[in-house]
Amino acid sequence: MSAKPQSIGEKSEDERLRKVSKLKVILNRPELGALGGSILVFIFFGIIAGDSGMFSAYGTINFLEVSANLGIIAIAAAMLMIGGEFDLSVGSMIGFAGICIAIPAIYWGWPLWSAIIFAFAIAVLVGYANGLLVVRTGLPSFIVTLAMLFILRGATLALTRLITGRTQVPGLRVLIDNDPIAWIFSADAFTGLFAWLGSLGLITLRQDGTPLAIGVPASVLWWIFLTILATWILMKTRYGNWIFASGGDKLGARNLGVPVTRVKISLFIGTAVAATIYACVQVLDVGSADTMRGFLKELEAIVAAVVGGCLLTGGYGSAIGAAFGALIFGTVSMGIYYTDVDTDWFKVFLGMMMLIAVIFNNFIRRRVTENK
Amino acid sequence: MSEETIVEFNQISKFFGSVIALQEVTMHIKKGEIMCLLGDNGAGKSTLIKTLSGVHKPDKGEIIVEGKKIIFDSPRDALDMGIATVYQDLALVSLMSVTRNFFMGREPIKGFGPFKTFDIEKANSIAAEKMKQIGIDIRDVSQAVGTMSGGERQCLAISRAIYFGAKVLILDEPTSALGVHQASVVLKYIVKAASQGLGVILITHNVHHAYPVGNSFTILSRGRSMGTYSKQKLSREKLLNMMAGGEELDKLEVELKEIDRIGKKNN
Amino acid sequence: MRKIYLTVLAFLTWAMMSVAAFAVDVIVVSHGQANDPFWSVAKNGVDSACKDMNITCKYTAPGTFDMVEMAKLIDNAVAQNPKGIVITLPDAAALGKSVKAAIAAGIPVISMNSGSDDYASLGISVHVGQTEFEAGVGGGQKMKAAGGKKALCVNHEVGNVALDRRCAGFKKGFGGSVDILGTSNDPTEIQKAVAAKLGAGYDTILTLGASLAGEPALAAIEAAGKLGKVRLGTFDMSPNMLKAAAAGKVEFLIDQQQYLQGYLPIVIFAQYMRWGTMPAGVVMTGPGFVTPDNASSVIKWAAQGYR
Repeated sequence: MSAKPQSIGEKSEDERLRKVSKLKVILNRPELGALGGSILVFIFFGIIAGDSGMFSAYGTINFLEVSANLGIIAIAAAMLMIGGEFDLSVGSMIGFAGICIAIPAIYWGWPLWSAIIFAFAIAVLVGYANGLLVVRTGLPSFIVTLAMLFILRGATLALTRLITGRTQVPGLRVLIDNDPIAWIFSADAFTGLFAWLGSLGLITLRQDGTPLAIGVPASVLWWIFLTILATWILMKTRYGNWIFASGGDKLGARNLGVPVTRVKISLFIGTAVAATIYACVQVLDVGSADTMRGFLKELEAIVAAVVGGCLLTGGYGSAIGAAFGALIFGTVSMGIYYTDVDTDWFKVFLGMMMLIAVIFNNFIRRRVTENK
Repeated sequence: MSEETIVEFNQISKFFGSVIALQEVTMHIKKGEIMCLLGDNGAGKSTLIKTLSGVHKPDKGEIIVEGKKIIFDSPRDALDMGIATVYQDLALVSLMSVTRNFFMGREPIKGFGPFKTFDIEKANSIAAEKMKQIGIDIRDVSQAVGTMSGGERQCLAISRAIYFGAKVLILDEPTSALGVHQASVVLKYIVKAASQGLGVILITHNVHHAYPVGNSFTILSRGRSMGTYSKQKLSREKLLNMMAGGEELDKLEVELKEIDRIGKKNN
Repeated sequence: MRKIYLTVLAFLTWAMMSVAAFAVDVIVVSHGQANDPFWSVAKNGVDSACKDMNITCKYTAPGTFDMVEMAKLIDNAVAQNPKGIVITLPDAAALGKSVKAAIAAGIPVISMNSGSDDYASLGISVHVGQTEFEAGVGGGQKMKAAGGKKALCVNHEVGNVALDRRCAGFKKGFGGSVDILGTSNDPTEIQKAVAAKLGAGYDTILTLGASLAGEPALAAIEAAGKLGKVRLGTFDMSPNMLKAAAAGKVEFLIDQQQYLQGYLPIVIFAQYMRWGTMPAGVVMTGPGFVTPDNASSVIKWAAQGYR
């Protein structure tokens, strides 16, 4: 017999030991599917639409903007999904936040920055309400936020018509110029760089000599920032572990002392705030608010999150994955207009891409939880 | 009571509306003692451990922990007092890593202010060390718990409870979903834990698991305690009889014989 | 797993082979989806013109009435650097930035169908469509010529600038007394509202939408037994109103002839590409009057997707 005391179970496990390579570890990350999908999509469009202008500076910024907007809410939706809940009211919140910005600014004479702050304050309230309802009633968040979807959308329409008599509130673009906050959501970055690239002939020029693509839009920077922030939270903080725990085993987590209620409510506030960031970017870009903005966006956010590797049942997922999911979505939805494909087929195309991504993700996930 | 008693459960009653879930149940746990809590379905075992672990408040009676009378407001209170419960679902998330599961709710942190981070490196090393101590040869503590077997997961949950200062360990049917080998791994670990001074309350249906490891046996029936027996005073057969509701089985046997006899007569 | 990989690979290869981008001469960005019966006629116009002019075109539209998405599509079109872009302009404020970017990039833009007020301020060369006021004038003149003295203009969305203009133009062309009846956009309510007014001696009624308002108005007139005594005209067309016109029950339908709204811009661009010519101002595609005389041929062509 060996001198070392026999530990429980040691002998029987030996025969199942295997060296696990670093590569395998990477392959088991939830983001892999979305990253692979993004690469595939780029290759696909690179081949069929390569010289159509899709990947020119202007064209690239165009689809990146769509990806970025979706990415902002997809990341929040992903975090909430990892925490075990859904928020179907995100799209309605986008519309509601839009009029929260526009109506005070245009009809009540508020300065734009105060209207923006007002919209975020409302977002926190709405998110808190969503979270409180879900946690207190114990009802599936699907149902609770679905009700909120209708309530918010209806309120958006009713209040806007009541105050303005129309369903649109235009005229915001002029207010952006001197506002201390608005530029955070509307300015383009790196304009100097783009002007220089234009002078080198690398970016198409307009007739007045300025480059067609003027800079990196604020939404793209927000997208990147939120991805980094969310990833840091999920991977590197205690709170992030609590999010995984709340989604993976709500009751068990609570019994171990995880403040599940607080975590979930804060995640709902997160999705509402993300919706408001989306609204700020869009309202300031288009210069108007509209009662139908954001319609069905919550589903797109969920799809992006799922493509990014998030489990619908919670406890597993990735913010980077959701960001890539949004990239896929944006690239495909804009890319298809560069091809000859009838846009009627767009939805078929999109659905198939999503299906492939989800199957691939499922495969990865099963490998994670089974014996490697 | 004696110096060795960790927890006293005195004359505890719990009512749910008009239903009497527990009626004046008394149970004491000593250091290093493995108390098997036995009884039929609906006897009140779950209610008893839920009351002990702070999920329910007793309607009558008192809980005394290390000489002091205590009222638990929440499971967190019980946990803080050292009463750790490992439920059947284990409170483990199979998609999360061993480390993240181990430190769930009690993550070590470093840094300060809003930039506090989860000290994963420290957590990983502690988790790896603990796994080795139990004897689970985990290749990589950042791999998902889902890759572990049922027995390994039980041991992980128990190890976690012990690491975070459990004085009394309550185990709800730890071996019921395990095969023979895995069950023995878990039972050996439980014995080891008790030998280090923990009190253990073990709930099980399986007398073949209970009898070898238990020091004392409390039997519940219809919310009442049928008594606490130490192993010396109880043979395996007698225990089996009491657990299986021996009286009722005897009556059933007589009735079946009667039905058989009448059947034969009519033919 | 291998089977799934192969399937995916095969699908992607097939997709790539069947789909290919080619440089397009003219890109049309419209707010009307091709599955909408009104817009499929316009799209047919685009397709026919492309074939007739021997250039390449593409008709695109957002999935729903979403100005944000439409602006993106215009940006997309600019990125493809076509010879010309045709757009509809339902919301100049939302689309303005993208349109101006297109023009600044040196791509000429023509607008059609909507936006006759705003196109010029954005730098768009020419607008192809039916201007509401003038169409109303045309309708008013026709009713006056038919002998009408006292008219009712049924406006189912007061405050909608385009509709308000239609009634205003009608008033100018009619000359006689014109009252505006504001209703909701509920056909049942419209029928009742019109019925209530029939006792007040009106001999002419104009509605601003065919199936929404024209049909209920016709039903009210028939129910009151006033067919032949009250002349009914309507903006736009619907299958039922076309049949009514063929049967002589309706004085006229004002057809904005969206086929031309799709066709003419392409022709204009084709000539621009060859000779650099570009008209200025509004090219009116309507009002085209569908009367009992020509209704049956219009019905035939509508079935084929040209009207």
